[in-house]
Amino acid sequence: MAFFVRFWGTRGSIPTPGYATRRYGGNTSCVEMRVDDTRFICDGGTGLCELGLQLLQSEARPADVHMLFSHMHWDHIQGFPFFLPAYETDMSLHVYEVAAGEDRIRRLLHGQMRSEYFPVTFSDLGARIVSGDLGDGETSVEGVKIRCFEQNHPGRSFAYSFEKDGKRVVYATDNEVDLTLENREQSMEKFSALRKIPPALVAFARGADLLIADGQYTDEEYAAKVGWGHARANTVVDLAVQAEVKQCAIFHHDPMHSDDDIDRIVEQARERAASFGSNATLFGAREGLELKIE
Amino acid sequence: MLDSGAVPKRNLPYRDDEDATVVGKLAPVPVVKPGKRAPRLEQVGGPGSPRSFELALDETIVGRAVQAHICVPSSLISRRHMALKKNGPQFSCTDLDSANGVLLNGVKAHSALLHEGDTLQIGDVVFVFREGD
Repeated sequence: MAFFVRFWGTRGSIPTPGYATRRYGGNTSCVEMRVDDTRFICDGGTGLCELGLQLLQSEARPADVHMLFSHMHWDHIQGFPFFLPAYETDMSLHVYEVAAGEDRIRRLLHGQMRSEYFPVTFSDLGARIVSGDLGDGETSVEGVKIRCFEQNHPGRSFAYSFEKDGKRVVYATDNEVDLTLENREQSMEKFSALRKIPPALVAFARGADLLIADGQYTDEEYAAKVGWGHARANTVVDLAVQAEVKQCAIFHHDPMHSDDDIDRIVEQARERAASFGSNATLFGAREGLELKIE
Repeated sequence: MLDSGAVPKRNLPYRDDEDATVVGKLAPVPVVKPGKRAPRLEQVGGPGSPRSFELALDETIVGRAVQAHICVPSSLISRRHMALKKNGPQFSCTDLDSANGVLLNGVKAHSALLHEGDTLQIGDVVFVFREGD
């Protein structure tokens, strides 16, 4: 079994091209997972554009692509109209709703391609758009078990778990875990204290080979951004520690953070994990980085 | 009528050929001789270090094999361990299914785009990637 994860967009909120962000990247959320010959794409931020080009150029061009969206805020869908495989008549895009009978994701993708926003309409796409769903929060695609978990974010968002042959990756972006902490007040006053993550989220991420999690803010920044739907990087560390994940990618970087800022956040995250006795590998998700899950 | 003799003489602290907007003395900017530093791998740890390899090929293989473009005699690295590929001005690294993997800045990576100062560790061998000028 071959399981690969590649980051095509790691930035939160808005694309940030420029010299100061070129190492971690300026494209918004888009992560590709290849499990044997099956391709999954988590979110359609601006990173999706380059992923599409790569898919069309690859020798083993897939006929089916499975897309899951954490939610439909701009920075997670803006790449979709520029995803060239969607214009190919020999492609099938499977777009998954979180519950049977919903038509939310397809409807919103359709909406952002109305002529007021974009010159090509959704119905002009050449690919076959196939609606799927996660039924009762769980489904299986080509032997890959997919589960979802509702998070804390304005307008709702969902985390996804992908599992095959005992290997598991959890994609959990745009989740203000901080608002759901069991010791929330203490966590706002004493940054060094371990933040008690809700048990359901810990269980969802438990033992993951890779956790990709929104860690947009520093502890100091967060007080002014409560309710905006994003977590503190140090809270993600505490999730990684309590869920005993093997690797954790801090994701959805703040658009105001330079590469050097993210380096500092990652360095502090590593120190914090070590202080709690964790040997998890923590790093900043970086555009162009591909990991083999083994 | 005002004649030129009526204009009071300015007592300025600079000469006529100096820019009046500049205050103080500026250090001269050194002239850089033409010539570029090529993209390269600097080996900073492991057998043979320190040394530097210019990345002039489209694909550079690093490994233990004598046929590797960059051959490092270490038992901890594979015969063909890692490839560095050039794609326009951008370089990437790919693990060639090595036994011990490639650590990019401490993270086990299958492949990655490289940037100035990235550290690549394969076994006991440590490289720093330099983008060049």
